[in-house]
Amino acid sequence: MKHAVIDGYGPGGAASSRAIYESGLSLSKSVAITASVVLMLLGAVQARAQEQEGAILNGYARSKVGALVEDGSYFIAENTLDLRLSYSSGDAACFANTVLYEREGEPALPELREAYIDLSGGAFDLRMGKQQIIWGKGDGVFITDIVSPKDLSRFLVPDFEELRLAVTGARLDLYAGAHSLELVWLPWFTPTISPAAGSLWAPALPFPITPTVQAAELPEMELESGEYFARYSYMGSSFDLSLMGGWFWNDTPAFAVVSKAFTPGVGLTALTVEPEYYRTLAAGYAVSGTLGPLVLRSEGAWYGGRRFQGNPLAFAVGYAERDTVQYLVGTDFSVAGYNFGLQFIQDIIVDHDDDLTDEATKNTATFVVAKTFLGETLTAEIFSYLGLDDGDALVKPKITWDASDALELFAGAYIFLGDEGDFGQYDARDGAYVGAKLSF
Amino acid sequence: MKRKTRHIVSLIAAVVFASLAVGATAAEPTGTEIMQAVYDRPQGKDMSGVLTMTLVDAKGKERVRSIKQISGSFTGMDKKLMVFQSPADVRGTSFMNWSYAGQGKGDDQWIYLPALKRVKRISSEGRGDNFMGSDFTYDDLGDRQPMEDTHTLTSTETVDGEACWVVESVPKDPKDLYSRTITWISKGKTVGLKRDYYDKRGTLLKTLRISSIESVSGIWVIKKTEMRNEQKKTSTRMEFSEVKIDSGLVDGDFTERAMTKGL
Repeated sequence: MKHAVIDGYGPGGAASSRAIYESGLSLSKSVAITASVVLMLLGAVQARAQEQEGAILNGYARSKVGALVEDGSYFIAENTLDLRLSYSSGDAACFANTVLYEREGEPALPELREAYIDLSGGAFDLRMGKQQIIWGKGDGVFITDIVSPKDLSRFLVPDFEELRLAVTGARLDLYAGAHSLELVWLPWFTPTISPAAGSLWAPALPFPITPTVQAAELPEMELESGEYFARYSYMGSSFDLSLMGGWFWNDTPAFAVVSKAFTPGVGLTALTVEPEYYRTLAAGYAVSGTLGPLVLRSEGAWYGGRRFQGNPLAFAVGYAERDTVQYLVGTDFSVAGYNFGLQFIQDIIVDHDDDLTDEATKNTATFVVAKTFLGETLTAEIFSYLGLDDGDALVKPKITWDASDALELFAGAYIFLGDEGDFGQYDARDGAYVGAKLSF
Repeated sequence: MKRKTRHIVSLIAAVVFASLAVGATAAEPTGTEIMQAVYDRPQGKDMSGVLTMTLVDAKGKERVRSIKQISGSFTGMDKKLMVFQSPADVRGTSFMNWSYAGQGKGDDQWIYLPALKRVKRISSEGRGDNFMGSDFTYDDLGDRQPMEDTHTLTSTETVDGEACWVVESVPKDPKDLYSRTITWISKGKTVGLKRDYYDKRGTLLKTLRISSIESVSGIWVIKKTEMRNEQKKTSTRMEFSEVKIDSGLVDGDFTERAMTKGL
């Protein structure tokens, strides 16, 4: 099921990745041009930064190495240089975040994570460009966090802040006291990146036989094919509330059956599918408040006409459109200096059919416990997803030590429990990692 | 209106205490009266400035944090917004607190982490927790109400050349972090100049020293202070700079927008 925890982590990985690589301008050329522009921008503004106190350049360098527990093979070997340049003057500001990745021995690739311009007035902010837009109040769950797609090429293994991808468009915030209204227009569609076929994190495709997967086509950039989002927010002394809605392209495609072949007495013997991006309408809420020592929160959304894969023999196109409801309830609290967080998440397919691959409901929980030591220089944390239906889990312990204000050393692990389910399917991929991060 | 009333009360209290200080040979005020006067001391409707916090561990190694902060009182609640300027890895992190003195309601608190790009409501129950890894607890930095303790004037002493009342305060709540505190309060400024904190076993735990007080817009502002943990041998220095009083901050300056955009 495309559910709240890993919404978009569908079987479209190979296709969507292919779509990116086949979208006209080659990726490497696109990156090179982008990098050149960014480096020129950085150079120009950095030079000016020495004269203008409104310009700030900061970032970090990080090395990270991780190995699979099962065979000791490296599955993470990356060096990252993250540069962030901001410049502000009066009511205008600009920001660029470019990252140079070197992963698993591949040549280093620059990536423009964000680049935008801000214009501000007394009661409005306007941001234009490539930007991350984060919604919702849940931790590690993406129910109303529907604007920015995700990089799930390594499942949920990276830190949450690295999962999010930027979108390109305009965002207008209007303010009136404790109330605000946010309007987002995205003329360019940005898909979620799913694990590539054959990669460590590629999930099994939901078909009885291995299909031939055709290339996906991204939605064309036209006014009527843009994505539109709106969110009302209130921050008050008793509670915080958000109401959101969106008319957008689903970030992962559904597989449409192009052709299939049956052999008498054998059944389905050939299948060709094409990933299709499609529009979804969504409306939801997010609320949080305090009750004594507890911080309570809830988030929920209705999605209209989502496509769910099903038996190709029962559904000619390979999928069925269904409305879905997702919600979570959760709480944070502290006991003896330990900070705890609990969430329960449920996904419901309305008008479910037994021929759909996904079950009618899916129940998941998250649990986090964290504590700091040594004057908050040492932080230990365990975050875990618990699949309540399949009895599986992903447990992510991590320990971070601030050796100095600039140098951070860290170590962690990914432990998959269970035999099946979203997390149990990776039971043989337990891993551990160590790393160092130098901030400047 | 409530705030205005409090200002009038504060002015009356200041006048009364100035008279008492001048006529020090006359009967001394009680411990409770002194601590109430400290609490009611005029502090301005709003304040802004830069806080530089230096954390010193037992080996003498220092870590420095720079924080921009604004605070103000609005219709029955006090609001404070702090935005980290350095070190680099926490730059842009902000923390906002709304407190409701005397209303029996717990504080509302939010934190904004730039990496996650999200404002999150957090629990305010940990008032005994250390503030950002320092030797100050959140309670140490807050406006503790006089009614929470039983105060006794024990003596008068001179600190840095200033005549002081010495007041012992014992928390009424037995679960309080400290068993008692002793505060040296300047008779002339109605400001605490130093304070000793004793743990639950009655052993000296921490000492607070004020090393610089300046008058800004006619209001005494603590500019430099140091908290030393006598048991762990750690200390935290706080220095306030660029202090402005009554600069016209409004309720709308303490919002999610301000947390995400910074000061």
